Amino acid sequence: MALPVWQQLRTELHPQGLEIVTVALDLEVDAARSWIERSGADHPQLVDTAHRLDELLGIVNVPTALWVDENGMIVRPPHTAAVERYDFSKLKTPEGLPDDLDAHIRDMLEQVKRIPRFDADHYVEALRDWVEHGAASEYALTPEEVVQGSASRSPEVAEAAAEFELGQHLHHAGHVESARAHFRAAHRLQPENWTYKRNAWELVSPGIQGPSDFYDGDWLSDIKAAGPEHYYARPDF
Amino acid sequence: MILEQLEVTPDELERQTGWVLKPEGLCKDDRCVPLPTGSAADGLVDVTAVAERLGMPLVHDDRHDLWALGPEAGDRVLASAELPPIVLADVEGQAFDLGSLRGEKVLIAAWASW
Repeated sequence: MALPVWQQLRTELHPQGLEIVTVALDLEVDAARSWIERSGADHPQLVDTAHRLDELLGIVNVPTALWVDENGMIVRPPHTAAVERYDFSKLKTPEGLPDDLDAHIRDMLEQVKRIPRFDADHYVEALRDWVEHGAASEYALTPEEVVQGSASRSPEVAEAAAEFELGQHLHHAGHVESARAHFRAAHRLQPENWTYKRNAWELVSPGIQGPSDFYDGDWLSDIKAAGPEHYYARPDF
Repeated sequence: MILEQLEVTPDELERQTGWVLKPEGLCKDDRCVPLPTGSAADGLVDVTAVAERLGMPLVHDDRHDLWALGPEAGDRVLASAELPPIVLADVEGQAFDLGSLRGEKVLIAAWASW
């Protein structure tokens, strides 16, 4: 979990004028609550139950970050920011699982290990450089570069946002079954949006986001289909 | 935005989408799109006309008779580099306006529990 790393960076860089805001893309506030309360962070920690950031900024997976300057201008559009230095190669399945679950999780871990490694050290150096040098930093982009570097919004992507909005609205109103039809539509329209998919799968298959009667896809099938090398849209910073 | 009917006040439309009703049509930043005659009358705007003119999807839930109006489809998600207005709540339900952080550099980090 990256929250403690963001807090460390905040402690280091806040004296130089950086604020950090974490936003949980969780449908349920309570799913994020214990992580947030345990983080001990002294920066704003928000929850985006409606996934407004997907619609407004083009976020499709987590962890994703963006940088905004003192004038409210984005200088680095949404990008993968896996700041947690985690060695996936050492991941193992827990002991004592039933055979079929053990095999499924083994298969998941094989995919996770094939996700290209994110260079957290380089990322943090780039962040420090921007905090120190502002617009003069080579990592701060021009407004044109920011717009061009943001995600594309095809009619399908726009419609997926509307379907997800309707789905989450119905879900929060207690119409769980009706919500699923709209989540399914969002998945079909924007298959590359993992936040739409993983939130929905997590509700029906917590932990492993496995196959269910409710959705066409599941984490393991979908990452195999997409290729683990494409799991993060922008692995390189 | 979630809608119970396909008419909305100009204020609500602006609050939810950023598009402002003016005599020349709907405007945002330096762009104005004319609306068909009669689609903004009696203090209400015809959402179907808005969706069609701005290229916004309008999706429906038959059972609960609700619509969602999505964002305008186009080239890029960001039409400008300016951070759009974003207000989100913390775990206590307290609203926080990201625009209140003007004057500081800000890193927004999206994560999830799942």
